[in-house]
Amino acid sequence: MGGYGDVQLLRDDGLRLDGRKLDEMRPVTIEAGILPAADGSAMVTHGLNVAVAAVYGPMEAHPRKIQRQDRAVIDVRYNMAPFSTSDRIRPGFNRRSREISKVTAEALESVVLVERYPRSKIRVEIEILAAEAGTRCAGITAAAVALADAGIPMRDLIVGVASGKVEGTVVLDLDKAEDNYGQADLPVGILPNTGEIAFLQMDGDLSPAEFELAMEYNFKAAKEIHEIMVDALRRRYEGGEA
Amino acid sequence: MVELVPTLLRQELARLAENDARLDGRGRWEAREVSLETDCLYNAEGSAKVVIGGTVVYAGVKFELRTPWPDRPTQGSLMCGAELRPVAGRKYEPGPPSPESIELGRVVDRGIRESGCIDMDSLCIVPGEKVWGVMIDIHVLSDQGNIFDACGLAAIAALRTAVVPAERFDVGEDHRLEVNGTPIMASFTRVGGRYVLDASEEEELGGGERIHITLGDEGHLHSLQKGLKGVFTPAEFAEIFEVAQQRCVELRKLVAEKEGN
Repeated sequence: MGGYGDVQLLRDDGLRLDGRKLDEMRPVTIEAGILPAADGSAMVTHGLNVAVAAVYGPMEAHPRKIQRQDRAVIDVRYNMAPFSTSDRIRPGFNRRSREISKVTAEALESVVLVERYPRSKIRVEIEILAAEAGTRCAGITAAAVALADAGIPMRDLIVGVASGKVEGTVVLDLDKAEDNYGQADLPVGILPNTGEIAFLQMDGDLSPAEFELAMEYNFKAAKEIHEIMVDALRRRYEGGEA
Repeated sequence: MVELVPTLLRQELARLAENDARLDGRGRWEAREVSLETDCLYNAEGSAKVVIGGTVVYAGVKFELRTPWPDRPTQGSLMCGAELRPVAGRKYEPGPPSPESIELGRVVDRGIRESGCIDMDSLCIVPGEKVWGVMIDIHVLSDQGNIFDACGLAAIAALRTAVVPAERFDVGEDHRLEVNGTPIMASFTRVGGRYVLDASEEEELGGGERIHITLGDEGHLHSLQKGLKGVFTPAEFAEIFEVAQQRCVELRKLVAEKEGN
């Protein structure tokens, strides 16, 4: 968190710079099945973020040493396109994308019924085409829809959402300015139907009460995004192509 | 990349070719539907999405300030690269850039560079001190054949809609990048013994060598590349060159239409 206290992020009327209420998220659109080469795919736009996910598999896990006798392994790659940020990113993995890939894979392994596919591998490729704060969450949401599109059974559709703190106030779904100059960021992966959490990160400074409110916002937003996810899958499979 | 030798597919493609037919029912010089979208990505100074059949490609343009080369103090630079990441298909694996992706990026790069559509002197801000470096990055998201044409089209469309972000770098006002020309690539693959335009993924799998031709606005050649194992005759080249001329005119029109918006 930048934590530059002198940047005004809340307007005098109590709204945020882009006119949103404190507990209002940016607009989200989701489309399933956009990449013909993949077994399952999805594109999520969340504010100005554009995240694409492709799923391949379940397939044979190789090399053999990565195989698990009792379950599938999920191989996640989160990657930001060179043109996705203000300053170009050199292609290739960096420490940040490796960490996000790892914890995202672990979150998805907690949701996918991996025990149904022993010794196999499911590849999840998350590509960020445009970044405006909140790409890991948009990536998780895209991955969930792509997994569903690939017909892979899951306990629930995991939703990526984040809340944070700006000028001492808890707000839902930080945008770029709020992320850069805010005081905390709490991205989570929520299973709306079971009320469980499969992904959790946080940085900044939150009091216990602020944390509780931020979580409340996150659960509320997860329900809203979940509906958009289900709607995207319905559009793809309920007569959409007939 | 491990690919089983598709003997049966090759036989089927050869059988179809005898009747001048293709797997998906297209004519020999018939391309799949092409869709082009520009200005589609926040944060890229120019962007384009191209869909050809089931092939999906994005290109984004970024700018950076750099010091010019000592022997060319008034010239900026242009770089075009392509990434064939595992997202693009089952056969793609993670790792350092493959020879395939390097070839792809360089063939697109040559077509744009050699057409002269970017005047390197126009990228100069302070001679000897500050010039623009223009970077086109191409991202293949779904490979169902003929990624070369998709990448070439996405790259030039993104470039032609790019805005130089001078204000962000504190070197003047934002302005449209000057691009004088629209080089377009047309690619041919040997399938069932003869060349076809815009090969599908299956045709590439069971096909032979490919030829990529990039033509400028006047129909001049700016880049050629033969890839994969195989040989061809001058007569065969003459035949596809004629088709390439028409194809490039069509795709150039598509780019112009998008700019008219």
